[in-house]
Amino acid sequence: MSPTVTTSTDCAVQIRNLNYYFGRGDLRKQVLYDINLDLPRGQIVIMTGPSGSGKTTLLTLIGALRSAQEGSLQVLSQEIVGMGNRKLVAVRRNIGFIFQAHNLFESLTATQNVEMAVELKGEFRSKRSQSVDILTQVGLENRVDYKPDSLSGGQKQRVAIARALVNQPQLILADEPTAALDKKSGRDVVTLMQKLAKEQNRTILMVTHDNRILDVADRIINLVDGYLESDDNLDTFVSTHDPKTLDRRMFIM
Amino acid sequence: MRTPLAWLNLTHDRRKFATSLLGVGFAVLLMFLFTGFKNALYDSQVQLINRLNADIIIINRLKNNMFVPSAFARRRLYQARALATVASAYPLYLSDVRWKNPENKTTRPVRVLAFNLADPILPLPEIQAHLDQLKLPNTALIDERARVEVGPREAGVVTELADREIRIVGTFSLGTDFASGNGNLIMSDQNFLRYFANRGPEEDERSFATADIGLVKVVPGAEVEAVVAQLQERLPDDVKVMVRSGPGDSFEAQERDYWRDSTNIAFVFSLLTVMSFFVGIILVYQILYTDVADHWTEYATLKAMGYSNRFLFGVVIQEALILSVLGFIPGFLVSHLLYGGAANVTGLLFQMTPGRVLNIYILSFVMSLISGAIAVRKVQSADPAEVFG
Repeated sequence: MSPTVTTSTDCAVQIRNLNYYFGRGDLRKQVLYDINLDLPRGQIVIMTGPSGSGKTTLLTLIGALRSAQEGSLQVLSQEIVGMGNRKLVAVRRNIGFIFQAHNLFESLTATQNVEMAVELKGEFRSKRSQSVDILTQVGLENRVDYKPDSLSGGQKQRVAIARALVNQPQLILADEPTAALDKKSGRDVVTLMQKLAKEQNRTILMVTHDNRILDVADRIINLVDGYLESDDNLDTFVSTHDPKTLDRRMFIM
Repeated sequence: MRTPLAWLNLTHDRRKFATSLLGVGFAVLLMFLFTGFKNALYDSQVQLINRLNADIIIINRLKNNMFVPSAFARRRLYQARALATVASAYPLYLSDVRWKNPENKTTRPVRVLAFNLADPILPLPEIQAHLDQLKLPNTALIDERARVEVGPREAGVVTELADREIRIVGTFSLGTDFASGNGNLIMSDQNFLRYFANRGPEEDERSFATADIGLVKVVPGAEVEAVVAQLQERLPDDVKVMVRSGPGDSFEAQERDYWRDSTNIAFVFSLLTVMSFFVGIILVYQILYTDVADHWTEYATLKAMGYSNRFLFGVVIQEALILSVLGFIPGFLVSHLLYGGAANVTGLLFQMTPGRVLNIYILSFVMSLISGAIAVRKVQSADPAEVFG
């Protein structure tokens, strides 16, 4: 499972020599330095690193939420660097986003929240059945018409996952999806993501500080101060990042 | 069908939604009230004119509004009758006079409308109903919509008019205007002479030699405009002949124009309406802005999912339009009630015509649209990248 050089078609994401800066002129500050990264299809990758290391910036770049400036960033075989805003919006439609907060509309029921995603594809007739399908897969078949305020934290996050997955995106980006959940709900949510990824050959890139869920990863990358510091499989990561020898900054949230 | 996000977001919190609608309704109410007062002041000036049973009006050339007491020679009406196209020509006598409130004995000016009861001057059923009593000396009908200051407006009141006793034998319904003082009385021309023929040294004496307004009916099939031209041509220049109502050169239009040009009514009430309009914009903007601010991360998430700015614009504009439609309804209903109340208190004529209702609706629609356009800028600034982290 260690990274190998692959052709771009096998990769959901291929990054070459990516630099990224915040600000302009004198205030320009580099946050990402010469990132090279391949995410093959079907792989679950966890990205860790201390606060301010550029994890979220990298995630939003891959998610086509920002326009990249230097280097090459191919997402689902499309070059993001230099792309216009309208095309970025189109790229996003093929990506599933899961956030730290569930970001569900309180005014919409679980299925309506999910249906908002289906409507992006213009499939208005089958949207209800697609939504109920995916909600059943995440174990919410009895909560389809509930509004978020009558769902538990874990259930809300599962609705958010259903919303991210309903359009069967080839790439799923998750930012601390378990941060707001207790241990058991967090575990359930991650297991669910793992199951769906393996069954349907999806690529998942997850930013997390949650050590309890590292085991679902095929691969763990560590970002420190804007540099890709290490890129290991799980066993190597655990042995090299033993808490006793570990840079303590890693776990500062 | 698309999920009706705008509707669901607005109605999710019922109480907030109700308050929002009341807010919009209040702005609509203010606009209704101010335009209502403006229109009522103009409409009231011409309500008597519009109820006169005439196609054509003959007046003294100097009488450029109902306040001017100038009368014209009644023989002009006989001259008018000589025209083959004129079916009838009747005189109406007007006079302002002191009326004593029978309860608190204060005197107030009222306007007397007098005419030969055999002539069809005002199509009011009450005149026919009290015809016999009105033929008796010193009797009159009082307008039940006269101002409360004149005292009880009912049959049986006995008080003084121009220092002579008068007995009220019945009521009719007309309403007040600037020229009518505190209200109108109707009496026979015979009684008119009793009160106004010998009024003391400082006052104008009245007789049947002069009339205030001449009411002309044309024969069926005759062209009114042509008859007006013929009459004006035939009669001396001391009188003015004009169509009774309608746009252009009519008696009604002359009255409206006079009040529009010589008072600040239009300016004051239009200014108030415009201010209500801006209050409405601020109100609706507040409502929409709060919605966008409360759902900021959700809207940004929609952007991350691949929804365009245009879609989010649509949601905000839809919310604005829903507010303008649903807020208009309570505003309209309450205004309707208030129009009735204001008409009762002031005796002015408050009319809610479909055209005026439509005008106010268009105003509230534009109001919401402007607010929506301002609030949309907030949605545009929702940066999906900021939802992470």
